[in-house]
Amino acid sequence: MKIAIPHIHKIEGEAGFWAKVTRTGKIEELKFQTLLGLRQIEGILIGRRYFEVPIVVSRICGICPVPHILGACTALENALNVKVSEQTVLLRKLLLAANIIYSHTLHLFFLSLPDFFNIENDLELLKKFKKESKAALRVRDLALEIAKIVGGRAVHPITPIVGGFTKFPEKEKLKEILEKIPQAIDDANLLIETFKKIEYPEFERETLFASVFNGKDYPYYLEKIVKIGEEKFTFSDFYSVQIEEDLKSPPVKRVKFKGKAYMLGAIARVKNNGEFLTKSSREKFEEFLKERKISEGEYFKNIFHNLFSQAIEVLHFLEVSQELLKEILKLPLKEEKPEIKFYSTSGLSALEAPRGTLFHYYEIDKDGRILNCNIITPTAQFLHNIEEDLKVLLPKILRLKRKEQIRKIRSLIRIYDPCISCATH
Amino acid sequence: MKKPKVAFFSLTSCEGCQFALLDLGEKFFDFLREVDLIDFSLIEEMPFPKGKVEIDVSFVEGLSIKKEEIDLLKKIREESKILVAVGNCAALGGIPEMKNYQGKERTIRYIYKKLNVENPEIKEIDNFVKVDFYIPGCPINGEEFLKYAKELIQGKIPEILQKPICSECPHQGKETCFLRKKEPCLGPITLAGCGAICPKNGQLCYGCRGILKNINPKGFLETLKKFKKPEEIEDNLEIFGIKDDLEKFLKS
Repeated sequence: MKIAIPHIHKIEGEAGFWAKVTRTGKIEELKFQTLLGLRQIEGILIGRRYFEVPIVVSRICGICPVPHILGACTALENALNVKVSEQTVLLRKLLLAANIIYSHTLHLFFLSLPDFFNIENDLELLKKFKKESKAALRVRDLALEIAKIVGGRAVHPITPIVGGFTKFPEKEKLKEILEKIPQAIDDANLLIETFKKIEYPEFERETLFASVFNGKDYPYYLEKIVKIGEEKFTFSDFYSVQIEEDLKSPPVKRVKFKGKAYMLGAIARVKNNGEFLTKSSREKFEEFLKERKISEGEYFKNIFHNLFSQAIEVLHFLEVSQELLKEILKLPLKEEKPEIKFYSTSGLSALEAPRGTLFHYYEIDKDGRILNCNIITPTAQFLHNIEEDLKVLLPKILRLKRKEQIRKIRSLIRIYDPCISCATH
Repeated sequence: MKKPKVAFFSLTSCEGCQFALLDLGEKFFDFLREVDLIDFSLIEEMPFPKGKVEIDVSFVEGLSIKKEEIDLLKKIREESKILVAVGNCAALGGIPEMKNYQGKERTIRYIYKKLNVENPEIKEIDNFVKVDFYIPGCPINGEEFLKYAKELIQGKIPEILQKPICSECPHQGKETCFLRKKEPCLGPITLAGCGAICPKNGQLCYGCRGILKNINPKGFLETLKKFKKPEEIEDNLEIFGIKDDLEKFLKS
């Protein structure tokens, strides 16, 4: 039997699915195939001036431009030993938290939720879930507003540069945002209730979860350690030794860890750093386990819980943003001019994008031009894991009607929130 | 009255222009309620019909890098009364067009040393099909999109006022103007409509909205050369794919 979904809608970028299964459930062929062309972002950066890098890499992805910009800036800062100010660090953290919130809310509400109610068009979803959609849009709007105030614009922020920012936000505007956060927190709680009530499909497969780690808090901006399963590596060891890019299936380089599939993003971060969630988001997570009568171990065996983990993270990062705003407002926020001296060197960075750990690596010459670079995106790292999960799902749905089979496959793929623009770049 | 049939398509791109629309929230959904939506893969499941559809307005984002994308683009053209190029990639080649200037045989070697990967010259979509209207910007401005889209769904081709970025720029005529500080800002030759969003946020204009139609940029480029090396000016023109358009301009 052959199953094909030539174009899977409601994911970021274009992709399709093909499989060949025997009647007994033996999978002869299975592929989650990306459909976008290769833009060769790394190739076009060779020879370009350092300050063009954030502008160019932002265009890898319209839904998560912030981690690409910050990944590039911090990798180049690591290379050139540039120390950035406290105000820059705090504003970058705020900007990245905002991107995680607006990316997650889009996926949670507009891309994945309709799957649980067999809704085929988001306009219909807006009609059926009036209260919830207003709440989701309000949270999204607030996060987008943060991105506009700090970054100048949400899609392709303008202000972040190597060394800091071209412009610092007005305090009045930050205060206005801070005042709106309690309402957004109420909205996030409403969304958590919505996603708590959903019937998640039964599914079981153990996998490895990777994210940055520091053992002190719920890290997402610039860390030195990557945790995968129970192992910990320095980020440079993980990037250069432990994982391997498979060059055999262009235009995407699929990544494996010691030959194995692994998962990243919200569910992986909750797995590795869940004890450091804010108090109320941790409580919501524990309530979920209690109400479902499942253990933590069981929670992480079901990939569909990535969705609930995203809902938890929306609340978590709103509360983190609230604290960051308070800290930022205590600072004078002065314009600054970063001083950068160029020499031949290289640098790597690791941070958490909405979909998981993102690596940017650059080599630069004494004139500040790029000699070499490499970008490893979260989706390229979890493509293999999607296929491993589909291999478990497929034999179980052979008896269903074709339409139902397609629905199940689509919904599993969407739970990952894959970003094909990032994976292909 | 019958609702106009509208479709959104995304070719190879970052999809940022579609997100600029979704980020409008309720305002954009209100617009969608006024139309009969044939295809918009980010928000609905319906596959693009194989047979005849007769779309009133198709919006196309991105570049046709793969052969399948060129085929899709041609089908979209056949089915659509009005075809609109949305954003800098579709209209002007965008960031990916830098590949042409860098040399495509060279750029691919940094990514796949041995394998054969589709690696065409980057060409704007109007090299493959007739385009009726261009919405500029990287990304597009959502509000501006709505303004034009409302005319387009009535079958009208909007007119874009040919004014430079400087006319919207808070630094115009002030000490803070990048050009006064001898920074090669492309504001004077670039089409306005974004609210000078980059200069307003402390970045030079790199011309992502394309060159004004009613000016001769030659004089401006000569002025830039007085304080910047030609290579540096060229590098800036390459970022958003306007160097080739400028060259065409200067030849004509």
